[in-house]
Amino acid sequence: MANVTRRIFGAGVLVTGLAAGTRASWAQGEPRRGGTLVATWGGGEPQACYVPSGGGSSPTFSSSKLFERLGNRQMNGDFVGELAESWKPADDFKSYTIKLRPGVKFHDGKPMTADDVVYSIDEIWKKYAAASAMTDYAGIEAPDAATVVMKFGKPIPEFFFASLLCGNVNYIVPKHVYAGSDPITNAANNAPIATGPWKFKEWVRGSHFEYVRNEDYWRKGFPYMDRLIIRYVRDPAGRAAAMESGEIQIGVFNPVAPPDIKRLTGTGKFVATPKGYEEAVWSTSLECNMRNPIFAKREVRQAMFHAVDRNLIAKTVYYGYARPGTSPIFSPNKEFFTLDTYKTGFDPKKAASLLDGAGYPKKGNAPRFSVNLLAAGWFAENGKIGAIVKQGLEDVGVAVNLTVPDRPTSIKRIYTDYDFDLAISNQANPSEPVPSTTQYYTTDGIKKGVPFRNASGFSKPEMDALVEKIKVETDPAKRKALVVEFQKMATVEAPNLPLVELESITVASTRVQNHSNDPNYLGASWYDIWLAA
Amino acid sequence: MITAVSSRQRAALRLLRRRLVQAVPLMLGVVVINFVLIHMAPGSFLELMTAENQVSDPATVELLRKTYGLEDPTWLQLVKYVWALLHLDFGFSYRQNMPVIQAIAINLPATLLLMVSSIALAFAVGVAAGVVASMKVRTGWDTLVSVAAMFFFAAPSFWLGIMMIVLFAVKLGWMPVGGMSTIGGLGGSGSGLFAGILDVLHHLILPTLALGLFYAAIYARVMRSSMLEVAQLDFVRTARAKGLSRRQVTIGHVLRNALLPVVTILGVQMGTVLAGSVVIESVFSWPGVGSLLFDSVSSRNYPVVLGIMVLGSLVVIAANIAVDLVYMWLDPRIEIR
Repeated sequence: MANVTRRIFGAGVLVTGLAAGTRASWAQGEPRRGGTLVATWGGGEPQACYVPSGGGSSPTFSSSKLFERLGNRQMNGDFVGELAESWKPADDFKSYTIKLRPGVKFHDGKPMTADDVVYSIDEIWKKYAAASAMTDYAGIEAPDAATVVMKFGKPIPEFFFASLLCGNVNYIVPKHVYAGSDPITNAANNAPIATGPWKFKEWVRGSHFEYVRNEDYWRKGFPYMDRLIIRYVRDPAGRAAAMESGEIQIGVFNPVAPPDIKRLTGTGKFVATPKGYEEAVWSTSLECNMRNPIFAKREVRQAMFHAVDRNLIAKTVYYGYARPGTSPIFSPNKEFFTLDTYKTGFDPKKAASLLDGAGYPKKGNAPRFSVNLLAAGWFAENGKIGAIVKQGLEDVGVAVNLTVPDRPTSIKRIYTDYDFDLAISNQANPSEPVPSTTQYYTTDGIKKGVPFRNASGFSKPEMDALVEKIKVETDPAKRKALVVEFQKMATVEAPNLPLVELESITVASTRVQNHSNDPNYLGASWYDIWLAA
Repeated sequence: MITAVSSRQRAALRLLRRRLVQAVPLMLGVVVINFVLIHMAPGSFLELMTAENQVSDPATVELLRKTYGLEDPTWLQLVKYVWALLHLDFGFSYRQNMPVIQAIAINLPATLLLMVSSIALAFAVGVAAGVVASMKVRTGWDTLVSVAAMFFFAAPSFWLGIMMIVLFAVKLGWMPVGGMSTIGGLGGSGSGLFAGILDVLHHLILPTLALGLFYAAIYARVMRSSMLEVAQLDFVRTARAKGLSRRQVTIGHVLRNALLPVVTILGVQMGTVLAGSVVIESVFSWPGVGSLLFDSVSSRNYPVVLGIMVLGSLVVIAANIAVDLVYMWLDPRIEIR
């Protein structure tokens, strides 16, 4: 029923949008040069234009139009070189040789060389941007100005390595700007100098960024447009109004409320598409704190799966723009996703039975036990999900005290103080499961004070050993089998329950061409976007 | 005559001195209360910063703690903050990566512009509507003013703002949806200082109406009742008996005295106008301190929050001193203690 409803809803929104989107994105004529594109996203202004450690989606959105990575992943799943022309592993997979693209210049006219790549990897990636993914990194050499060799202490699978090169904020930064400074506080973070298709011109705080065309861009003839404006509108209704009035032409990552998507696409002047988020799927999860003896029992954690109606969450909280999660690896992940996991359907009777078996029988009207449920307040939807989870658990006899603290309090309580029994949180994971997904399940993922890691306290030697194998298995088929085994173990142990996978939406004017053509479109450079007359 | 003027000037100077002396403990109270309250809130900017930067190394966390003076007990941090404030040092904002005063200075002009225009609109419209209603009491004009005042008093300003955007920006296309100016001249409205000023004024209209009409409704109601009350007083009857026209009596005698309660409210409401601008700035993407304050509270950016509170308090204190001086101008009999 929920799926039918979602389809019906989608008929008015997505099908129309996708049909128009197909025309807009792939059936266009000769690209039109010049003009200004005004874009926005479904969040606020960043703390800095570029944050070396990432800093969340907002600085990723603003910085990715200026900076570039060594590689990039295509919509068909292929990895292609961006600032690198190619990369090749050694026979033992313990080193990779990267050939750099010649003729690339930074925005200040200085050439990009191997020195910049060495500095970026050693000082930015290793320390900030990709620290958790580079635990086996052993150093880098630059045999000549156009080649670097990355070394590792263990064999590194090709998929992992390519994913590292394409990592969200694994950019190549200019050594001459950053060397000798603290990268976190470098003033250039607010007026970056990079290699990308757009050059920073101005940041009017509280309003917008203005970028202009990089005339010396290495992709000759790109970008098509003269200017790109990233405008910040805090209120979703304000964004919808700005789009409708023509002030903003494209909004990524759910820029407007679902009813407004339907209204805007209904005018025939806008398209809405879920494309462009395949490498950045968001989910909402329920984390069990295993420091509480009740949740140390596996049956109790599994019971949480069965007690919560996740179709209801997808339908009512996300208006159908979500689907129940079945695995810590999300369903758009073509490489590793499997349905062969612990079956987690909504089944209150099974939940009650599991709780009985765990030693928490229901006695009259008294609850089996009480839990503190924390719904992280960084997304408004989490509080609504909290109400549904509370209802589901109370229906199977578990008393729930629900709180919805704001962002800083949620981060402190979940990831520093571990002050929760159950926590509704969110994750955004790329296709490569190590470490972004696996760190929620491994012992080394337990890092007090570091958010979006293993807050449940789950620690199992078999899981740690399995993840270690995944890290070093260089045969793609064998590695996939190991990741499937990981998904089975993760769902059976259930320290971290994937409630729903979210479907992010881009809304764009039908005049906008060549959009949503990258699996991480929020973090893409938009070098080929253009605006029809 | 000269003696009388000098006496009033001396009284005004005495008042100014007294108010400035009183402002010192008031400001200290504002700083202490806000400092304590924000430090009582769970989560800290250090935790958020280490979270955003994925810092897990205890030595780095400790270094950052020392860098931002967070290793001291709270009372010592407070003493250091007050001492720095006395030297006009508002601290450093890690989030904006700049001194707090610079971060606020970027956004403050927009908020002051919105506040001043909203208060001016509220005062002009409210007083005019109140005068009309009192002069046409129990007529259609009176009813119209009462109904309009009730509507704008009851309508939440954020809702009013959104409705204005839908009507005047989206449907009619007369006004911009938001922002303070046309980005990069996209509107094609020409260049130059004059065109720039016109552009800002164009963007200012809707937020000013959304914020100001609520206060205009209050002033209209207060002005109406104040006018009716003053009109019954003996000196007004005397003025009429002396043969002054209705207009002369209303403007020269009734209006001036009836303004006192409105001026009182105006002074008191400076703080709430500043608070209201937080919401309106969000609806209209107005780049003022409201947005900065919202972001700073969300990120526990204490130095910026405290800086805005201190500067906001200074604005309110200055406005109230100005109101006291206006009292003395409106009614020379008043001697404020």
